[in-house]
Amino acid sequence: MNTYVNIGKSEKRIDALEKVTGSAQYIDDIRIPGMLYAKIKRSAFPHANILNIDTSDAEKLLGVKAVVTGKEFAANFKNSFFGSPMADQPFLAVEKVRYVGEPIAVVAATSEEIAEDALDLIKVEYQLLPAVLNVQDALKNNAPLIHENTNNYRYSSNIKLVFNNNICSHIEIINGDIEQGFKEADFIFEDTFTDHSSHHVPIECRGAIAQFNPNGSITVWAPDQSPYGGRSLIADALRIPESKVRVITPTYIGGGFGGKLRLSGLMPIIAIAWKIKYHPVKILLTREEEFTSTTVRHAAIITLKTGVKKDGTIVSRHAKVMIDTGAYADRGPTVLGKISYGCTGPYKIPHVKVEAYCVYTNKVIAGAWRGYGIAQACWAYESQMDIIAMKLGIDPVDIRLKNIVDEGYITPTEKQEAHAVGLGKCLLQVKEDIFRKRKDRILENRVKGNGIACGYKISRTPSGCNAFVKLNSDLGADVFVSSIEMGQGVNTIFAQIVAEELTIPFDNIRVLPADTDITPFFPASTASRTTFFLGNAVKKAALDIKKQLFNIAKDILKADEQELSLKQGLIFVTKDPRKTVKISEIMEKTYPGGISFLGRGTFYHYKKENLPSHIKVKIPPTLVWMYASQGITIDVDTETGRIKILKVSAATDTGKTINPITCEGQIEGGVMQGIGHAMFEELIFDEKGKIINTSMLDYKIPSALDMPEINSILVEEPHREGPYGAKGIGEIVTVPTAAAIANAIYDAVGIRIKDLPITPDKLLRALNNKGKSI
Amino acid sequence: MDHSITLKINGEFYKLNVKSNVLLLDVIRDEIGLTGTKRGCDTGECGACTVLIEGEPVNSCLVLAIEVDGKDILTVEGLVKNGQLHPLQIAFVEEGAIQCGFCTPGVLLSAKALLNTNPNPTEEEIKTAIAGNLCRCTGYTKIIKAINSAAKKMQRKE
Amino acid sequence: MIRKIKEFEYLNPSILSELISFLAEYKGRAKMFAGGTDVLIQLKERKLSPKYLIDIKNISELNYINYSESEGLKIGALVTHTSLANSEVIREKYSLLAEASLAVGVLQTRNRGTVVGNICNASPSADTLPALIALDATLKLVSFEGERIVKIEKFFTGPFKTILKETEVVTEIQIPSLPHHSGGAYLWLPKITSVDETLVGAAVVVNLEDLKNKICANARISLGSVAPIPFRAKMAENFVKGKKLESMICKEAGEITANESSPRSRAEYRKEMIKILVKRSLDKALKNINS
Repeated sequence: MNTYVNIGKSEKRIDALEKVTGSAQYIDDIRIPGMLYAKIKRSAFPHANILNIDTSDAEKLLGVKAVVTGKEFAANFKNSFFGSPMADQPFLAVEKVRYVGEPIAVVAATSEEIAEDALDLIKVEYQLLPAVLNVQDALKNNAPLIHENTNNYRYSSNIKLVFNNNICSHIEIINGDIEQGFKEADFIFEDTFTDHSSHHVPIECRGAIAQFNPNGSITVWAPDQSPYGGRSLIADALRIPESKVRVITPTYIGGGFGGKLRLSGLMPIIAIAWKIKYHPVKILLTREEEFTSTTVRHAAIITLKTGVKKDGTIVSRHAKVMIDTGAYADRGPTVLGKISYGCTGPYKIPHVKVEAYCVYTNKVIAGAWRGYGIAQACWAYESQMDIIAMKLGIDPVDIRLKNIVDEGYITPTEKQEAHAVGLGKCLLQVKEDIFRKRKDRILENRVKGNGIACGYKISRTPSGCNAFVKLNSDLGADVFVSSIEMGQGVNTIFAQIVAEELTIPFDNIRVLPADTDITPFFPASTASRTTFFLGNAVKKAALDIKKQLFNIAKDILKADEQELSLKQGLIFVTKDPRKTVKISEIMEKTYPGGISFLGRGTFYHYKKENLPSHIKVKIPPTLVWMYASQGITIDVDTETGRIKILKVSAATDTGKTINPITCEGQIEGGVMQGIGHAMFEELIFDEKGKIINTSMLDYKIPSALDMPEINSILVEEPHREGPYGAKGIGEIVTVPTAAAIANAIYDAVGIRIKDLPITPDKLLRALNNKGKSI
Repeated sequence: MDHSITLKINGEFYKLNVKSNVLLLDVIRDEIGLTGTKRGCDTGECGACTVLIEGEPVNSCLVLAIEVDGKDILTVEGLVKNGQLHPLQIAFVEEGAIQCGFCTPGVLLSAKALLNTNPNPTEEEIKTAIAGNLCRCTGYTKIIKAINSAAKKMQRKE
Repeated sequence: MIRKIKEFEYLNPSILSELISFLAEYKGRAKMFAGGTDVLIQLKERKLSPKYLIDIKNISELNYINYSESEGLKIGALVTHTSLANSEVIREKYSLLAEASLAVGVLQTRNRGTVVGNICNASPSADTLPALIALDATLKLVSFEGERIVKIEKFFTGPFKTILKETEVVTEIQIPSLPHHSGGAYLWLPKITSVDETLVGAAVVVNLEDLKNKICANARISLGSVAPIPFRAKMAENFVKGKKLESMICKEAGEITANESSPRSRAEYRKEMIKILVKRSLDKALKNINS
């Protein structure tokens, strides 16, 4: 049993002081001398050919420095489409527009006001084209093609495209024989669930500053969860070396949740920066532009046909999935991957078939959103799990415990060994917390209900990354990594790791903001991967310094390295603790005049032999499995259909809780975001593909008055390769919420809702037509 | 046309020439350089731009600078006194009430205004006081805990 | 679309007569504002681009809440929602109005926004309007041509439209004293979250003949956010008059009101909520009489 000094402690966040004093730096706080201001002209139509753009009047406006259109930019950078895994997106629309809000031109001026006025003077001639606004229409035989030439786009080999229709990509997974499975089943359940589109709504609207430099390089300042990813997209699209693109993140991001990723919504800044070389130019999106022109959560339609035995054992599942990726692919094909693999849930299912489609529509682009498809899959499978439990008369927790994977089980879709499965513990903790109280009616028209759900998420390898640590003579340290602190608390975790390994004071450790010229590679602060992968790299970097120190100390203490220990900044011979030397002494005496100790760590984990061969799409293997369960108690007013969430019990498997208070914070925030998506938030499109609710007046995220009691339960099932056993929890905390609410509603009033969001209107209508489910 | 105004912010006087259409939020951030107050939505819905005007929380994105000529304004930078953090700031740090930090300045000010007039608020009163400060990261639980904790500490000091 | 506000000339009168002359002189080219929580958004959306913006906050003579049993309640144009909600006399004697003011937006909005501003903005979903109608309020309108007193029900002509002339300012809200055995309530449901515009708001003032028999002498029922302008449920009012206000009667009043109304969006749900809220607010108003 390890006793740690810093690990496992609720150390105070190292960014807290800056944030409470208002001195924390975000993108809008960065001012660069000579900076110009940009505004984007956007498409008013969902699908149209651009016949002509006349920018002459805009260019003449006093204070306007330049205007750039897609055609002009594309003429200088041939085939300059960006996107990963498919490069189908232009920096600015060239031949046609594919969604309302798509960027078509950019103005740079000496003030935002002038830039705004210039937009009014840009005249665009469109030839309207018929638009498709939902996946069903997009898949019809004679549906208008949104992308005519998908075969011309560059794309990763691990996605499967389908050409000449509106399917962006397709996945099929087969394990076992589903027909055989259905024959073995005693009961077959077939249900269709729909999940809608919502927005991340970070409180900070994103912005960026870009500058083309005379040596052909580009510098971009942007709040980005993947500076290296953004760099790669730009370099790849413009056919320039990656080292010619520098992406710098401000110290902090005001909320990411998957949205501020690879310059999503901000790429037009590159076009205008190119036009006005070599001035820096800044854009700050308005809240409206955040809603209309960044990325949103994928709406999904999931049909699950599940065969079970009468004792509740699941034997077979046939899943059909369609996700709406909007006008461009963005991360659609990989979200499709996650949702497809995720359709089994954390359950043992011998016979599985998944058929999944990522479909284009003429709407705002869907991309990475906390949960990355897993949340949508969980909505479906956990709702159905309760349907099955109710029908079979089995307790909802028992049926789950019966089916969940255990250690070493080869999972049905990923075909890899599950490891560190803390899910059983999570379920039991939640059951204990939620179900032990009786549900008393408050009034005639108020009914209580309890519901439970669980889920899992994976994080893929390699997610290779490096970290540098610099130890200074005052025993302070600096950590150089390309993750970003967006509230999840990673900077504090890294400080804890360095403090633990080097036994130096925790509050003298800093984590630098990411800068692709300085901080080493990290794929992205997404997929709940940062603590696990980059935490390991940071730990290795700290241990590298420790090794260097021991290498010097061994000569001073006349002992072998293995005979030495380190505690509170003191190196000593383990068996003879009187023989000591301080780290500070080593630095002063060995290097008089000063020196830094530099540590480097690389974490790269890739099990080639685990790549599944039977699956038609190649996917990188999984290393980290993350689990959580939530139980929710609600109060339903049967006269108004309004649901009050009273309590959420959220048990999450952290592997090892490095910082309890930040883990609790992630759970509490994740639960609220889950509630918001399930009950309050919905992007509403009109019949012309335009989003109607583009302000925070009409798109509501939960406020403090909507907050239930949240009990965060931290479960630890250590991962053999996690730093101190730690995994990640950033996304799993928001995954089971919607299904838990729906299951609680069924418990309260016997109504099964299969179509998100859950609104009072829907529930009341169902209550009035009691007996029918929606 | 430029208006000559004097803004009293965090106890200091700032003489400025501003146009009539300039927002208080922009003057605070751009002219005076106090960037702790944030822009979140520009329509008074999110509370990230909350400042105290004569002790009352107000969305500075919906106030023109000229409206508050001579008025007493408090921003987050004004909470520190003589190098000491305000009990609310200490409580937020200790209780883990901060994540991305973007809503934090606004919430701190709404909380300060609450405790100035209601030193012993109930949980419901705290929620009502900060209902106009939207947070996407914390789920509010630890923010409320921190305000409670600060209230108790401040009461003990009196 | 939210944009930078266009430049305007800022006027800052300190007495009412100065304001009246500005309105007369700049007729049609000026916009008044106090709290600014509605007007500034309209300026940002370019729905308004006035040449003159008149800030009335320094006209201190307009900032008052006066009550006497004979004269009733008089609320000046500069009273904010927060001031109204904190006013002891209003909480005691006209509690539904305090409840309605507390339903407006968030604290930051209530600290700036004025009740008169809320009335002049005339949003269909405004909370104070149905409460004021239920209280039989009148408004004092002042211009260079003189004064006129208008019943608040007659003030609204459509969504965001009123009979206020370009040269006029609303200086005061007047609410008569309530007869003995009166009680009121304002109940509302939000559109989505707890901090949201009102989906349906029901304001009720009932007056009983006597406490024992609970026979309704008079009732005023007004709804917000179910029609282009605040809706007065006259049929339901006539129904309850002379009847004992028991549960079944309140319920039927709700149903009558729902049938009288024709909300446009979320119509099905809104009608159901009209039924529920009218019933519940009648119940609550009754309880308020007894306490």
